[in-house]
Amino acid sequence: MTHFVRPSLGLIGRVVAILLFATLVEFAMSTVLYERASQFSVRDDEGRRLAEHLVIARRLVADRPPAERAAMARAVSTAHYAMAWQADAPPPSDQSLSEMRSKVLAWEPVLQSAALRMRLEPAVTGSFVTGGAALPDGSWIHFRTAEAIDSLDQSRSRILIALGIAAAVMALGGGLIGRTLRPMRLLASAADRFGMGKAEPLAEEGPAEVRRVITAFNRMQARIQQLITDRTQALAAVGHDIRTPLARLRLRAESIRSEPVRDEILDDVAEMDAMVGSLLAFLGGEDDPEKPALADLAVLCATLADDAVDHGRAVDYVGPHHLEHVFRQLGMKRALSNLVENGLHHGTEVTIALAKTADAVVVTIEDNGPGIPPEQLESVLEPFVRLDTARRRDTQGLGLGLAIVVRAVALEKGTLSLVNRAEGGLRAEIRLPATA
Amino acid sequence: MTTPPTIVLVEDDPALRTLTTRALQEHGYMVRPAASAPEMWLAMEAGPVDLVLLDIMLPGTDGIELCRKLRQQSNVPIIFVSARGSETDRVVGLELGADDYLAKPFGTRELTARIRAVLRRVDAPRDTRDREQGLISFDGWTVNLPRRELRSPSGAVVDLTGAEFDLLTSLIDHAGRVIARERLIELSRTRMGDSTDRSVDVLVSRLRRKLSVDDQPPPIVTVRGVGYMFNATVERT
Repeated sequence: MTHFVRPSLGLIGRVVAILLFATLVEFAMSTVLYERASQFSVRDDEGRRLAEHLVIARRLVADRPPAERAAMARAVSTAHYAMAWQADAPPPSDQSLSEMRSKVLAWEPVLQSAALRMRLEPAVTGSFVTGGAALPDGSWIHFRTAEAIDSLDQSRSRILIALGIAAAVMALGGGLIGRTLRPMRLLASAADRFGMGKAEPLAEEGPAEVRRVITAFNRMQARIQQLITDRTQALAAVGHDIRTPLARLRLRAESIRSEPVRDEILDDVAEMDAMVGSLLAFLGGEDDPEKPALADLAVLCATLADDAVDHGRAVDYVGPHHLEHVFRQLGMKRALSNLVENGLHHGTEVTIALAKTADAVVVTIEDNGPGIPPEQLESVLEPFVRLDTARRRDTQGLGLGLAIVVRAVALEKGTLSLVNRAEGGLRAEIRLPATA
Repeated sequence: MTTPPTIVLVEDDPALRTLTTRALQEHGYMVRPAASAPEMWLAMEAGPVDLVLLDIMLPGTDGIELCRKLRQQSNVPIIFVSARGSETDRVVGLELGADDYLAKPFGTRELTARIRAVLRRVDAPRDTRDREQGLISFDGWTVNLPRRELRSPSGAVVDLTGAEFDLLTSLIDHAGRVIARERLIELSRTRMGDSTDRSVDVLVSRLRRKLSVDDQPPPIVTVRGVGYMFNATVERT
């Protein structure tokens, strides 16, 4: 059988994924906006001070003869700005400070003619603004802020904190959603259990949608339970109603003088009774649930063989005198008896063998009949399937024999296999797990 | 010649009631038919009753409940008849104190054989009648008479046919004494409703095999030329 299963995250997974996505989007948006806003305010202020300082420093340095310019530049250095006079130009402006540069130029347009250059110089302790302005004679005054602006470290830890908060929110959200979905999980296990025993209504809890589903499930369960109960009662009634006329027929038949006619009628009655019995056994399984108990499987097999021998059939039992095992005795006896009858119907000799292996108890029932056509080995296990064609209908019963075996073996968590023996005939093997 | 046994027959189906009544009368029983629970109580008061044949699926009354009430009021042997053929019905009925169980449809031969067997058990001496309430144990094995069940020393249910069970109880009843083959044949014949002819020797050998324990001699001993003896200490509880 092939199942097409679409991989699914599960409801919780999905909700967490949505949360994650939402949190990330929110985080990204707020980061961008916040960073932008703070950057603007910091650089406006910084830009003005820098502009004023630079204009004054440039003028003072330019007024001095070249020999004194380096000393002058050092003299106008402050705690905030380090200034230096050099003949060569600083590196060109970089894009990250273009905004700040235009602010500076807007404040002190004179710097426009001084070919102001600004760039951000990252260092271990933070980022510093460096740059320079040209003097009228083509030499340059360089500057460098003494304090880091807009520390990258700071923003990194801010990201980490934000991520941590996001993770905590997700964990909390996941836990809450898990709690919310708990009724769904209970519902799933209740649905799994349904049919395995007593059906109990599920407590209606959880979110409104889930509660509706549980209500619907409880109603459905009750309806199915009612159907099963009705059917079981109807079956018991049918059993009674058919067996009573059968009992009349049987007693009436006894007064028939002609022996052959009488025996034939009695055979018919027996066959009809067997049909009712197998139908009840097949359909009425829930009505009379047998509990597994310790019983002697070897004695049971031997009894089946003895019974058949007493009825003039050739059935042999091969195996130990005793083999105690936990199983449903009545169900298994009916199953084995069905297999023996099957063998005797298609063959003349049947052997029941019993053996215990390390992990299983194995019952095999072999006959010397024609076996089963290989293509039908599987279909004969289905209910209402007969091997005999409709024209040659000499099989007793409704074709439920093997289906009853399948069910009984499944109840014991065992396996049933049918194989055609090399030497002819059919071999049915029932394996019951040793630790049942 | 004693008076023929009287049977109260409780069966709701009129035709089956008539047929069963006729079959029983032909075998020499006095029959008082009843169609329902109230009629049954009337029939019980009409005179001494030796046995009640009770269909447990009567309309209006739960047959099992009726069986319990009947058992509370009287010690009369009860055979109950069921169309369900369900094993729980059988066990419940036997545990409620019914003496035997008969599944529909039944034949006259099976019916009369069961009635004879039950009446014979009732006629038996007082101490064997008392055993109907309880358990018998020997060599660790347990016989549950109401459930007609044998359990091995380790507690496993050991499947016995009806004839084997009756043979075992007959042997236990005569524990420590030799019981003649002919007597055993007679005892086990009363019960067998089916037409097969099993010799007692075959039954004994099967029973021996079922009761075998690795290192112990089987409790059933053959006394050559006479019969058999059950050779174990029997305790009744």
